[in-house]
Amino acid sequence: MKRLRNFYPFLFLPFLQLSVSFSAYAQDSSRKSLLVDLSYHSFNNAAMYLSVHAKTKENGKFQPVGGVRFRLYLDKDSSACLAGDAVTDIKGSAIAILPPSLKNQWNSATTHRFVALSDQEGGFNSSRTEAAIVKAHLEIDTGQGKTIIAKILEMKNGEWMPVKAVEIKVAIKRSGSDLAVGDKDSYTTDSTGTISAEFSRAGIPGDKNGLLTLVAKVEDNDTYGNLRVEKSEPWGAALKLTDTFDKRSLWAARFKTPLWLLLMEYSIFLSVWSVVIYLIFQIARIIKAGRVA
Amino acid sequence: MNSVITDLLPMRFGRWGKIWAAILLMFCAIGAYAYFLQLKNGLVVTAMGDYVSWGIYISNFVFFVAISLVGSLITAVLRLANVHWSTPLTRIAEIIAVSAIIFASLIIIVDMGRPERFLYLMLHSRLQSPIIWDVIVISTYFILSLLLLYIPLLPDLKILIQVNERNQPRLNRFYRFIGSFWKGTPEQVRLSEKAINIMCITIIPVAFCIHTVTSWLFATTYRPGWDSTNFGAYFISGAFLVGAGAVVVAMFVFRKAYHLEKYITELHFDKMGKVLVMLALLYLYFNINEYLVPAFKMRKPESAHLMDLFAGEFAPLFWSAILVGMVLPIAILLFKKGRKPLPMFVAGLMVVVGAWFKRYLIVTPTMLHPFLPMQDVPQRYHHYFPSWEEWAIVMGSLAGALLVITYLARIFPIIPIQETISEQHEKAA
Repeated sequence: MKRLRNFYPFLFLPFLQLSVSFSAYAQDSSRKSLLVDLSYHSFNNAAMYLSVHAKTKENGKFQPVGGVRFRLYLDKDSSACLAGDAVTDIKGSAIAILPPSLKNQWNSATTHRFVALSDQEGGFNSSRTEAAIVKAHLEIDTGQGKTIIAKILEMKNGEWMPVKAVEIKVAIKRSGSDLAVGDKDSYTTDSTGTISAEFSRAGIPGDKNGLLTLVAKVEDNDTYGNLRVEKSEPWGAALKLTDTFDKRSLWAARFKTPLWLLLMEYSIFLSVWSVVIYLIFQIARIIKAGRVA
Repeated sequence: MNSVITDLLPMRFGRWGKIWAAILLMFCAIGAYAYFLQLKNGLVVTAMGDYVSWGIYISNFVFFVAISLVGSLITAVLRLANVHWSTPLTRIAEIIAVSAIIFASLIIIVDMGRPERFLYLMLHSRLQSPIIWDVIVISTYFILSLLLLYIPLLPDLKILIQVNERNQPRLNRFYRFIGSFWKGTPEQVRLSEKAINIMCITIIPVAFCIHTVTSWLFATTYRPGWDSTNFGAYFISGAFLVGAGAVVVAMFVFRKAYHLEKYITELHFDKMGKVLVMLALLYLYFNINEYLVPAFKMRKPESAHLMDLFAGEFAPLFWSAILVGMVLPIAILLFKKGRKPLPMFVAGLMVVVGAWFKRYLIVTPTMLHPFLPMQDVPQRYHHYFPSWEEWAIVMGSLAGALLVITYLARIFPIIPIQETISEQHEKAA
């Protein structure tokens, strides 16, 4: 019995081990967790890049986290598959372009997985985020009567096959953001993977030749990620830039005063000062009249 | 000798006159020392900075420009309107106008920091800028005000030269230098009358220009509180009010100091009281327009500025300026008893002091509320309180203007002698 009593403390050893292990594997509670969005982007079916956005929750609100270094991988997190390092900016965003060295790996499969890893630093726990896509191809063309045609294809069994029921946005590229070409924002592809949108923005200013950049894009698609293609068409109004540099204006340099203003100012100045000079002349006449007297 | 001449000849300073001049000279000396420090160390001695780049120097400049308008009101407007009761007040108004416009010019050079910048302003002027328009119009108004003081003074100079035994020798030399050619011949009188009439017609639009252009310095700058199409009229009405208030104060003081009760009568106070109350009502009307309309809309960029005036940091000053500068003088002057000399003096003083603070409220709170919010700046940037150097320079300039008025009243008759005699003869006839 005595031997058994001496054995009792050892019964607690597994619980002690469990608690120690739990502490070792648990994330440090003093550090915050990062919430990471990882997405894939394709531009004109040629330039592919990954974007990450890091944020955290503070006082019940999401706040972007800048200065976080991410390692981005294609398919698996090994050094051979490293797409690049990216550090988030003040808005918590960073991008990394898929390098040419991964071209063979990219071409070897129809679906891909991306991995974003960050280390434990700057008060944040380490993170691992993954995203998967199916390779897709977005095309844009124009038809008769200012119609924009966009088509989406995905790689299946080594062939590009049209995809039905995908939302495609058709827009005109402007300075701040994209402007929808018509009343509708987005269109759904038919069985041929195609949508058709009417251009109804006649007279919209283009560049100096009237060229507009038409855009077809798939945004935040769970299967294909973000795809964007652009095409230029001379459907806009030619922009006539009025260059006021070095011309007469209210904001120009001193020798470039507008003529109308000069005319006004000199007229007022001369008319008032001619009176002043006349008055001084009158004083001279008064002096002369005094001498005569 | 005609009793009018005896009564109205300039008098030497008595004991109080000397004390008054000494106090003013002391303020001027302190102001000059503060300006020396500013010249030596730069504008860093002021409390102005990145945001409040126009402080009390500019408020003071606007005040001087405003007060200078009185010359055109009393002399030109009333003369052209064939109002005769204002004759004893014309010289007072002209003297105030000249001294105010001199110090308006000086204080703007003080605000530039380094005085040679004024030369650069001339050499590198842009005719598109309202600042240059202001420089041109102030110079023009200064010349016209001088002429308006000088030409009507010529007959009085003849009298001063005639009574040379009463004057100091150097003053006699000065009188002879500037007026010995006046013989009072019919030709001279004709030429002088013609010149005065032309001047009175010319000085009115120039006077309107001087204050309109000064208001455009603000109104052409897109800032809360200044973005108004009403600013020209608002400034002119305020200028007439403060100018008339200054004349009332000067009337009372000169009447007491020189015993001019026979010439500046209670009738003059009553008439000037009516003018003053009308101008105060007009300025109050413009103030209601200036503040009520933006307050009704309460556009977001303007609201911080307006709320600061109505209920914030500047509220005590704002409501005091409205109350002291307009409401109380109106309340006093609306009644006949209020238009007696002493209440008029108090009301005039209120108008002048209220007007100075009103200019401060036009300039500074707006500078503290730019459209783009003030972020990541030291706390002191959010407030402005002038440094002692700024106060000293401003007080020095105000004392300087009073000193010029005091010495001009010492040298020249404060009431036109010849005109008074002529009017008495006309009345007798």
